[in-house]
Amino acid sequence: MARNKTYNKRNVLIVFLCVVIAASLLAGRLTYLMIFRSKDYAARAEDLHERERPIKAARGLIYDRNGQIIATNKPVSTISVIHAQVTEPEKVIEVLSSKLGLSTDYVRKRVEKNSSLERIKSNVEKEIADEIRNMKLDGVMVDEDYKRYYPYGDLASKVIGFTGADNQGIVGLEVEYEKYLKGIDGTILTLTTAYGVEIKNAAEERIEPKPGNNLKISLDVNMQKYAEQAAKKVLEAKEANNVKIILMSPQNGEIFAMVNVPEFDLNEPFNLIESMTRDIETSVLSDKEKQDLLNQMWRNASLSDTYEPGSSFKIVTAAAAIEEGVVDLDDQFFCPGYKIVEDRRIRCHKVGGHGSQTFYDGILNSCNPVFMEVGARLGIDNLYKYFRQLGLFNKTGVDLPGEASSIMHKKENVEAVELATISFGQSFQITPLQLLVAASAVVNGGKIVTPHLGMEVTNSEGNTIKKLEYPEKTNVISKETSETMKMLLEAVVSDGTGKRAYLPGFRVGGKTATSEKLPRSENKYISSFIGFAPADNPQLIGLVLIDEPVGIYYGGTIAAPVIGEVFDNVLPYMGVEASYTEEEKEEYDLGTIVVPNLLNKDKNEVKKLLNDLGYMGEIYYLGEGEIVVEQFPLMGEKIDKTSDLILYLQ
Amino acid sequence: MRRSERGKGRRKLFHTYYDYSLLFLVLFLVGFGLIMIYSTSSFNAERNFGDAAYYLKKQGIFGLLGIGVMLFVSMFDYRLFLKPLPIIRIRLVTLFYLICMGLQVYVLIFGRVVKGSKRWIDLGPFGFQPSELSKVALIVFVSYIIQLAPRKLDKFSGFMRVAVFAAPLLLLVVIPNFSTGLIMGVIFVGICFVASRKKLYFIVAGLLGVAAGAFFIFGVDYRGERIEIWRDIETHPKGYQILQGLYAIASGGVFGKGLGQSMQKLGFIPESHNDMIFSVICEELGLFGAVSVILLYILVIWRLFIIAINAPDLFGGLIATGILTHISIQVLINIAVVTNTIPSTGIPLPFISYGGSSLVFLLFEMGIALSISNQIKYEKA
Repeated sequence: MARNKTYNKRNVLIVFLCVVIAASLLAGRLTYLMIFRSKDYAARAEDLHERERPIKAARGLIYDRNGQIIATNKPVSTISVIHAQVTEPEKVIEVLSSKLGLSTDYVRKRVEKNSSLERIKSNVEKEIADEIRNMKLDGVMVDEDYKRYYPYGDLASKVIGFTGADNQGIVGLEVEYEKYLKGIDGTILTLTTAYGVEIKNAAEERIEPKPGNNLKISLDVNMQKYAEQAAKKVLEAKEANNVKIILMSPQNGEIFAMVNVPEFDLNEPFNLIESMTRDIETSVLSDKEKQDLLNQMWRNASLSDTYEPGSSFKIVTAAAAIEEGVVDLDDQFFCPGYKIVEDRRIRCHKVGGHGSQTFYDGILNSCNPVFMEVGARLGIDNLYKYFRQLGLFNKTGVDLPGEASSIMHKKENVEAVELATISFGQSFQITPLQLLVAASAVVNGGKIVTPHLGMEVTNSEGNTIKKLEYPEKTNVISKETSETMKMLLEAVVSDGTGKRAYLPGFRVGGKTATSEKLPRSENKYISSFIGFAPADNPQLIGLVLIDEPVGIYYGGTIAAPVIGEVFDNVLPYMGVEASYTEEEKEEYDLGTIVVPNLLNKDKNEVKKLLNDLGYMGEIYYLGEGEIVVEQFPLMGEKIDKTSDLILYLQ
Repeated sequence: MRRSERGKGRRKLFHTYYDYSLLFLVLFLVGFGLIMIYSTSSFNAERNFGDAAYYLKKQGIFGLLGIGVMLFVSMFDYRLFLKPLPIIRIRLVTLFYLICMGLQVYVLIFGRVVKGSKRWIDLGPFGFQPSELSKVALIVFVSYIIQLAPRKLDKFSGFMRVAVFAAPLLLLVVIPNFSTGLIMGVIFVGICFVASRKKLYFIVAGLLGVAAGAFFIFGVDYRGERIEIWRDIETHPKGYQILQGLYAIASGGVFGKGLGQSMQKLGFIPESHNDMIFSVICEELGLFGAVSVILLYILVIWRLFIIAINAPDLFGGLIATGILTHISIQVLINIAVVTNTIPSTGIPLPFISYGGSSLVFLLFEMGIALSISNQIKYEKA
């Protein structure tokens, strides 16, 4: 047998040494990887292992000016399943579908889907979530979450707005103040296997969520409720499309109330309200149609829609004319019931005309020809100068989303006819809020305020983080003009077209308006009234708009009493004390009566009923017929015994 | 005693040797392998079979079986291979070689396909890869052929003559299993290298080998792709497994995360108990543990080297050389692949990687090595 020779042994040594050298090289490679590349690769590996689970941050609360909570959070839960951890799929499917009210097919599909985490349902009520948690089903996760909750339901719905599925603001203040209200979500960093399953007992890193900041707004829940009640009442009585009421401080622009009835339920913002679905079959709505209706429902028309302001705009024309000195209060005018401008005959609302009158009377009568004349004296340059000063070419800057711009004639296109119509508030459009701001400036001594709701931002501990400031512009009209205008507008309420807003003891000023909606042929109207009090030092200014009232549509008749009623409640609430003049005491000591139901009664019955109550005012019958079909003031309203009644006959 | 006197006459006392160092090194590696298999496979075993020790139990059975085989084989004289069998009158080594060829043919036709390759023969609940046995057969058979006429290897024609004998089995293995074929080729060359006095033609053969290798690598699509993966390991979509291995190795640092603490074995490295097991060793035991494991292998190879140079005859020496080459090349290629030093190819880490037939036949091989050591006679000092 062959021997193992020396050269064989030497060769084995060579092989062995080669192996040792190769092994050393690999050890070197390992050293490089495990020391010099360690940090880099290990970090990348960690990225793979770590899974972030968000912890929802609570959204900031919204308080009214008195600290009432308007928007808060309700603890809810999100139910999800982890496929890999489910041990009893049938039981899980059965429990989840019955507890959550979902179809078994829906749940089955999700439970049997091989994904790391499958969401079954979010916004589950806490009690139901607790029941599910207590059943301790393997693979079923119950995660705490928050859902926005609005304790007042539909109060100021279009102002406050609501949040979406991820707690982000969608409309209203919720979206405007998103950056303050939104908290910073925390995270739980956990280690997971390649299949996304968390490793139990692994060290968790937790970053606590930071709750959002709270917002205090100038809205007053009680004032909002008063205004809403009044708005609802007139909405129903007049079968109007909608009724808007804005109450604001004319001194600093704080909005106390902003009503847009019909409102919607903030806790169910995706359900169409009854008045929108009355005439349509909701089941046949396409998604887009439904979305359009929802957008319409959420729309804050007080600042998103424009309208022809009509007679209430005469405040602006009058203020401009007095400021420019083109007219004196006792200048004489004559109204034959119309005015011919170029080749057009523009009518006054009083068909027979107001006859001979002073400018003062013209305002009290809301006489169109007087204002056409005054407008012509001013000229478009002057008029537009005051429009600009009073903010009618700009947005008001209100802290709400979706504000519309005014629609004005281009100056170069304004001929005599346009000038005449502009002078009494027609042929252009502004938002109700713009009118309110302009009127505020006229009665507050010439200061343009920024209407707003947001007052201050506080953190979750209650400390103020930011006081919200808003720009103001002073001296847009002189103090003297402002004083004159207050006197004139007070006279409109005490002796002119606005007397249905008269409140004994409170010096209310205001101006009525009846705007024809376009196209004019449809004879649809917006009745409105803008009022403020006390007239010598206005603390409150309010505007009511009744959209498409059925029947009587004169602003002085149906809109003025709404402001009267609201002011009657709100002024004492605000601490404005009533001070009666001697005259008033004498007059009102006679007392008041509660208006009885006069509907379906004939003239004789009405007379007898009212006599029994001691009514001493004048009854105006409108229309032809014997039976009362409509009455103003409405049943149940408190009026003084000397005030007028308007009854519609048929 | 009488026998030794009859031998060389001058030397008086010879003692029988048994390489206990090698035995204990191997036992240690097998034990360590079981621990690492449990560490790496428990997560997947629990997930797939509901039994964390599923892979450990299977490997444990094969480990015990293999150790039995090793001890049993080591008790016989390896020269038994050269004995002609009764009746059929061929030598045991030739029969062994023919059986392996038969098995390789069988597997080509009836083999079970696992992951796209026909490599397995079913044996009841277990399967085994005949190519593992073929490696042993090749070592023994080539050694046998060479020792018949060692001087012929001094010429290239002699080398070719041996190659002709080895070629049939090599080709049968290389068809379904390129990487095992490659290992066998290296073993073959290693044995010839040790047996030959001349070195020049090895350079020629080496060049031929490189050319053949290149043909195999670039001639087959998926192997060419492996080169691309190797070069762009961090961006190539198919580099996932190796990249995950690198993450594991690198996150180990100097002392590792501790036994059982690997994150990468939790599904990030697919089948981390197989060829990629070394990366988890690195992650859990750190550079320190990894170098220790390499040193253990160096020690095993050192013992095989000692056996090879002290073997009583060329046959034993060459077998030991073949075994040495076999263990070395598998360790080197496995670690090189795991560290992305070379393009990936599926070679298990000897004694440690999961795999029943691989372990049993490796231990069978170590049994032969121990048997050779047992035939070493030495003078009493």
